Amino acid sequence: MLLNQFLLLGAVLFCIGVYGVLARKNGVLVLMSIELILNSVNINLVAFGMMGGDAAAITGQVFALFVITVAAAEVGVGLAIVLLIYRNRTTVDLDEVDLMKG
Amino acid sequence: MLAAAFSRPEIDYHAFAPEIVLVGALLLILVVDLLFEDRARWATSTLAGLGLLGALVPILTLAVDGGDRSMFGGAYVVDNFALVLKALFLIGGYLTVLISTDYIGEGDYYEGEYYFMLLSSLLGMLVIASARDLISIFIALETLSIPAYLLAGWRKRDLKGNEASLKYYLLGVFASGVMLYGMSLIFGVTHSTVLTVIGERLAGGGASVPIVTVGILFVIIGFAFKVSAVPFHAWAPDTYEGAPTPITAYLSVASKAAGFVALLSLVFIAFEGRSDVWQPLFWVLSALTMTVGNVIALRQTNVIRLLAYSSVAQAGYMLAPFAVAGHTGVNQAVESVVTYLLVYLAMNIGAFAVVMAVARKTRSGELSSFGGLFEYAPGLTVLTSIFFFALAGIPPLGGWYAKLVIFRTLLDQPTVWSVVLAVLVGVNSAIGLYYYASVARETWMRPVPDEDRTPISVPSSLAAAIGLCAIATLAIGVVPQIVARFAHLAPFGS
Amino acid sequence: MIAQNIAFGILAASSVLAAIRMVTTKNVVHAALYLVVVLGSVAANYILLAAEFVAVVQLLVYIGAIVVLFLFGVMLTRAKLGHEGELDNDQRGLAAVTALLILGILGYVLVDYFGDDKLPQLNRTHEQLNATRGTGAVGNAIFSTYLIPFEVVSVLLLAALVGAIVLARRD
Repeated sequence: MLLNQFLLLGAVLFCIGVYGVLARKNGVLVLMSIELILNSVNINLVAFGMMGGDAAAITGQVFALFVITVAAAEVGVGLAIVLLIYRNRTTVDLDEVDLMKG
Repeated sequence: MLAAAFSRPEIDYHAFAPEIVLVGALLLILVVDLLFEDRARWATSTLAGLGLLGALVPILTLAVDGGDRSMFGGAYVVDNFALVLKALFLIGGYLTVLISTDYIGEGDYYEGEYYFMLLSSLLGMLVIASARDLISIFIALETLSIPAYLLAGWRKRDLKGNEASLKYYLLGVFASGVMLYGMSLIFGVTHSTVLTVIGERLAGGGASVPIVTVGILFVIIGFAFKVSAVPFHAWAPDTYEGAPTPITAYLSVASKAAGFVALLSLVFIAFEGRSDVWQPLFWVLSALTMTVGNVIALRQTNVIRLLAYSSVAQAGYMLAPFAVAGHTGVNQAVESVVTYLLVYLAMNIGAFAVVMAVARKTRSGELSSFGGLFEYAPGLTVLTSIFFFALAGIPPLGGWYAKLVIFRTLLDQPTVWSVVLAVLVGVNSAIGLYYYASVARETWMRPVPDEDRTPISVPSSLAAAIGLCAIATLAIGVVPQIVARFAHLAPFGS
Repeated sequence: MIAQNIAFGILAASSVLAAIRMVTTKNVVHAALYLVVVLGSVAANYILLAAEFVAVVQLLVYIGAIVVLFLFGVMLTRAKLGHEGELDNDQRGLAAVTALLILGILGYVLVDYFGDDKLPQLNRTHEQLNATRGTGAVGNAIFSTYLIPFEVVSVLLLAALVGAIVLARRD
């Protein structure tokens, strides 16, 4: 197997994630798109780890595990915030959540 | 089954003492809040303050002890750079606790959890000052950010507060994703996450490949969100306006400083050999950030938003030394950024603290509510002028020295680009002076709105914070050697 | 080798298609289910890359916990189960152009640098693998080399837990 087949899969997922972040306006869907980005990072890390001997393989896997852990915490926090907004505003539409017009 | 051999890591507990004290304090707060409920609500802020001061003690003993301590194969280093910045974060955290005490105590907030989150976020900052490894930097960055996302939305019933939290969260998480993708590319080329190793492998030949350029670009863009550099600043003003004011002060000072610290170690240790990539990038970021921040700040009529855009602009000044670090050498750039951070800590927290003190009476952040402040609160008026003129960089107040150091770095070995950037810093300081002075003019010369001249009562902890910041701002301005000495110690250890 | 390449082809195709559907579907619940397909395929990719522990964690944490959280989020914000109003903003064109541009750049730099690099063949027994780069070795590394991030992450999770409860609870 080529290294690049995994890397290109990662790149495609990354770009789909970026598209989702930019094009979606539902808070939950934006969060899902960010998960795509984090998954593409993990594919990269594990695939790159394969190329550099045992030490790099371990580093890549450990890095991926930390990314998964942090992603779980992030999603928990994100849904709490979305829930809070929904309770006060009954919407999760990001275009409507714009009181201040930054 | 062939068992993998486990080797017990060597741990230098003295080096970790500040972090251990802080974790002890935050767990204690959680337990006290749980056991004593309402009776001990006041105790949590005291505990938080004591915990932060307690964590300063081992920093002093480490500083007296001297010597660089490097652990885990160079992934975690306690050198002078780390110690100076840890002290900065702890003092910033302590000032935040001081200005929070009455604000949080009087409002309808979860109090124990508030200090718990604040200390968790500070733990991330202590770790990021020592982290010299991509994994530690990532984890420390998330540890300081995730509590901050939540604290930004601590005013649960306030719609602006909710919005502040959501915008900060979504952009922050997206920025982390972009930064991680960049880190993965760097890891792929160098097969290591330790910054010094990355630095060696990127400096050694064959580094000028596009993939490294893209990796560095993504990492720096990820951090540009963190330090609210234009064009990645969209979250900052809204988050600053919607968050509880003490948290706004904290975000604009401590959390921004943490972003700069991570940038310093990444750029100057890991990416040092590729200044051809990051110098132009930082030049553009710096020029855009200070100009756009200042021009928008001119139009603000709300003091909190004005301070928000001013803090965007100040980040632009702090980015300037990065843009010339390739010629002038890393040490001078580190020194000037650290100097700026130290001075900025005192004057910006001070500015937020006086705004909070005035808002206790006026219940408003509008510029017009500051009208005629001199007639009923002359002391606060003088202090307001001190902090706002310090931010503008007028001698003999602290800010001038920070600006001077930036100019000195830019003009040390002048090139066309660095001179242009220095001119931009000068022009922007002039624009800054205009809007900082407009706040002062309002307090000294304008009429009192609604003829309401009841005096302002400033609670003791807020007064203490204002006093500490004012003394520091004046002292730094008159005797700049104080910060100069600390900043001079700061460059990275071996 | 050929079998692995075929497996990769199927996994890659299914994850890319599911990801595209996820960001375009008009139904939030369907999006969460498409996400499961992506996450599952990515987990299988980790197995192809001999990272079985990461694969299992991906299944447990991502599909077992994160997707469930997403579904809770969708349910509690009462998204209708059928089609609903507009889920996209009006920058779809711009977003697509940006994404394609980034894809072009990434594709170019990846092919430029890694070209036809082949993944190394690991001719080792299961035990050897475990001791050098498998689950055992990863476990040892987390508790020695990466002890600091591991300890810090525990504070991070505690803070996220406490903070999320404070914000999300009704009071």
